[in-house]
Amino acid sequence: MATDAPAAPAEPSDDQADPTETRESDRGLGDQLRDVGPGRVALYAVLLALGAFYLAPLESGLLTAFKTQEAFFSTTPFAPPPIDGTTVAPWLSAFDTLSGGLVNSFILVVPATLISALLGSLAAYGLTNIDWRGQLVVLLLFVAGVFIPYQAVLVPLTRFWTMVGLNDLLAFWEPLASRADLVALIITHAAYGIPICTVLFRSFYSTIDGEMLEAARLDGASAATIYRRIILPLSGPIFAVTLIYQFTQIWNDLLFALVLLSSPENQVVTIALNKLKGSMVQQYNLQMAGAFIAALPTLLVYVLFGEQFAEGVAGET
Amino acid sequence: MNPMDLVSRLVRSADDEAHEDADVRTDGGTATSERQGSGRGFLASNRNLVESLPFWLPPALLVGLFVYGAIGWNVLISLTDWEGLGSPEYGSLDLSMYAQLLGDDTFIIAFRNTLVLLIAFTVVSLAVGLVVAILVDQRIRFENTFRTVYLLPMSLSFVVTAIFWSWMYNFEIGMINQLLRLAGLDFLTQQWISDPQWKMAAIIFALMWQFSGYCMVVYLAGLRAIPTEQYEAARTDGASTLRMYWRIIVPQLRASTTSAAVVLMVFALKAFDFLYVLFGDTPGPSVDILSVMMFREAFSTTNWAYGSAIATVLFLMALSVIGPYLLTQYRRGDL
Amino acid sequence: MGDVKLENVTKRYEDVTAVDNMNIQIHDGEFVCLVGPSGCGKSTTMEMVAGLTMPTEGTVHIAGREVTNLPPKDRGVAMVFQNIALFPHMDVYDNISFGLRLRNFEKDEIDRRVDKAAEVVQLEGMLDRMPDEMSGGQRQRVAIARAIVRQPDVFLMDEPLANLDAKLRVHMRTELQRLHKDLETTVIYVTHDQAEAMTMSDRIAIIDGGQLQQIDPPLECYNQPANLFVAGFIGSPSMNFVEGEVTENGFTSEYMDVEFDPSNYGVSAGDKVTLGVRPEDIYPAESGRSISSPTGEIRTKTDVIEPMGDEIFIYLLLSEEVETDLEDPAASNQLLISVPPDSDVEEDQDMSVVLDRNKIHLFDTESGQAIEHSLVASPAASGASGTSGAESDD
Repeated sequence: MATDAPAAPAEPSDDQADPTETRESDRGLGDQLRDVGPGRVALYAVLLALGAFYLAPLESGLLTAFKTQEAFFSTTPFAPPPIDGTTVAPWLSAFDTLSGGLVNSFILVVPATLISALLGSLAAYGLTNIDWRGQLVVLLLFVAGVFIPYQAVLVPLTRFWTMVGLNDLLAFWEPLASRADLVALIITHAAYGIPICTVLFRSFYSTIDGEMLEAARLDGASAATIYRRIILPLSGPIFAVTLIYQFTQIWNDLLFALVLLSSPENQVVTIALNKLKGSMVQQYNLQMAGAFIAALPTLLVYVLFGEQFAEGVAGET
Repeated sequence: MNPMDLVSRLVRSADDEAHEDADVRTDGGTATSERQGSGRGFLASNRNLVESLPFWLPPALLVGLFVYGAIGWNVLISLTDWEGLGSPEYGSLDLSMYAQLLGDDTFIIAFRNTLVLLIAFTVVSLAVGLVVAILVDQRIRFENTFRTVYLLPMSLSFVVTAIFWSWMYNFEIGMINQLLRLAGLDFLTQQWISDPQWKMAAIIFALMWQFSGYCMVVYLAGLRAIPTEQYEAARTDGASTLRMYWRIIVPQLRASTTSAAVVLMVFALKAFDFLYVLFGDTPGPSVDILSVMMFREAFSTTNWAYGSAIATVLFLMALSVIGPYLLTQYRRGDL
Repeated sequence: MGDVKLENVTKRYEDVTAVDNMNIQIHDGEFVCLVGPSGCGKSTTMEMVAGLTMPTEGTVHIAGREVTNLPPKDRGVAMVFQNIALFPHMDVYDNISFGLRLRNFEKDEIDRRVDKAAEVVQLEGMLDRMPDEMSGGQRQRVAIARAIVRQPDVFLMDEPLANLDAKLRVHMRTELQRLHKDLETTVIYVTHDQAEAMTMSDRIAIIDGGQLQQIDPPLECYNQPANLFVAGFIGSPSMNFVEGEVTENGFTSEYMDVEFDPSNYGVSAGDKVTLGVRPEDIYPAESGRSISSPTGEIRTKTDVIEPMGDEIFIYLLLSEEVETDLEDPAASNQLLISVPPDSDVEEDQDMSVVLDRNKIHLFDTESGQAIEHSLVASPAASGASGTSGAESDD
């Protein structure tokens, strides 16, 4: 559905990597230097200012997290901490508060991400690479699912999980039963992640050569064989995009966790962080350290896989 | 005529011809759409449907239950009088919750705030994203780095960004006011997130900070899809840079604008996390929006049916945004 | 035995009829090209033979067995695609052996067959290469080997050379012919390139509007086109057409007359007919003396002249009023002729030409069907000869 086609992955498209870069490298260094007029300087100044704008809250937060209580009240928020006002105590204290939530978040995010990506891949294959009448209507329902405001399902969702009573269903194994909330949250995130995963996979699968799949069919491959032997081995890049996108989304979510998690031992990191903010109102250094600790996994993923993340967010359109 | 002459004659002309439409499939465009759309005859189509079921049906059932089932159920609940700890009574359904909504000033205010947020946030984010995209598209060096930095806020949780911005907006020592003081603009310093007059603007600004990078990505893809020849042609015609973008490039970004706008508007409707972290479930009349009000009614005061009614309104608003969009996409075969 | 028979095959999509009541019989070991303009139904026809598309009506037989509703893998066909369609994540060996492995062949048998196929298409020693390490031509060979290794009754090729550059295409053309000679397997080959069709096939099936127009050996299609469509489609530049009507003395039109005795050709005065003549069968009057049966001289004026190196094309205007329409050389008010490269011609010059009566075609204007392919008096046989296999499309 991507109207802005280039945002979608077009096969392994190294050759059309980035027009600007080839253009740039075509020209000698001398040419480039000669071009550096006042316009170019202004352009880079604006770009750098924008960079400062986007980074400012992080910079200020990061520096504050290293300041003592007295120091952040007495220094400018974007100046580095003074020598006698430097401390790592907020980090230790925040980590202490959040560590349980971090673990729970990982327990939540890993399975939910994997399940939603796998189901999205299967659905996209069945709705894209196998032709049958009416598939577009089913696809339309999947795509619409991407845009549903979750508020519209919250009340039934909590009601549903109350009625299911996972606690009792999982009673056969105590460690799991006490995690019932988290299991419900995993299934919930997996289910609501399917639409966007399907959309992302579809944009990739629709670029797969239909003739190649017909050739496999002619060779006697069944739909399942084609998926396992051809589609899946080719899906590496789009799995990366989808897993990264879903990891970030589920890790960052607050709303579902807020309404589905009741016991404190199951709380995920976003909840823990929100509580920390509420209870440590004036301790900005602690809040900032907490925010960074909670954001660290997604920040790391973003720094390592920025391109895939960009592809994921652009794939939403 | 000698057969060999004939052949050579044919070969030559056909090669020219084939060159022109080398990419054309034997049966041209129609064949492709036939292949995708209407399947291959009844039998094959049925066989394919059966073959495809194991792949999409399980996910479809999950989506059907959790998305569409839940939406229907939500509407049903909104027709009951369910509140408190009990279970909903499906015996007597009526529209009393919706009638109550119409007489509820809080709802009217939240509805208005939602619209303001939706429009202002979308417009501002798109405008900033477009400008940034155009700047990044100027064959700059370190493009990847700049792009990575601009999109970075998008990877953060609203809980995290809300904490950052509550610090940024702090009256005494927040960065915004400190910078204003530094610039000698003390009179501009405000109680950004306490003063009802500035709250909404502060929220929109912070959300723009987080989402404009996304708009940049979408616009950049749109810009890159425009052939370079058009820039060159415009320059050859002597158009100034500003004029070129305004008259030639920006109008071609309509598709990017539409799809990004839909995503932003839907986000504005469900924006909850950011406000909840900043203000809890009672952000006050100046920034109370439907998604927060819904949560408050349903989960804080257990007016389940009333919360469901607000949720239905939110769903209908979202539907009015995405419905036309998806239908157009569907009709154009862009799905 | 790889004979293929389509009987009354029709394929309808919601509101389009892609293939309309097609009857084709292809013999074992034959190389048949399906040609026609884009959207004519030739690919759909082939897909119905492959089993990738199911006919709405009619039956398909392969090797004497009805396969109309069989899935592709059970039909004994192998297909080579336009996009080459190799599996990008498999090396050459895995690509070629994919179908055999799915059918659980013995490892030894697979190796033996892959080696043999690789030898036939000259890919020995490249079995461990990945597709993206190969040239377009090599990839096309892998695709062909993938088809050979299955030892099918019928090869189906859907524009297999269309994505190759012009030079490689000509080269692969000869290779495919050699391959066909070696393997003696039936080949059905879809192309929009009439040069491919003319050079490679035993017979050409010309398809238009979902209907078979003619199926005959290449030269027969060229010399005895069954109807106006075939006459205009086969041959480049295209045949000249002049619309007119039959008189007591022969043919007359606004711009030119040709004398003949209508009774010899089963037409009578007042019939609307179209006269067709290929560019190489029109001669300047002075050199026309050398041919055995020229028509009377036709006065024209030269317009555009296109020297091609080995010949010169001249657009002749039959009337003063209308400009040459380069887009449509068959427009009735003009003739395109081909003359030897040493001819001395200039634009806007009067020129009288004669047609070779032996090579004049007459078509029924309304139905488009050929009436006669020569205006040298012959035993009065009405109807076109040599179009035995063709479907009438009335």
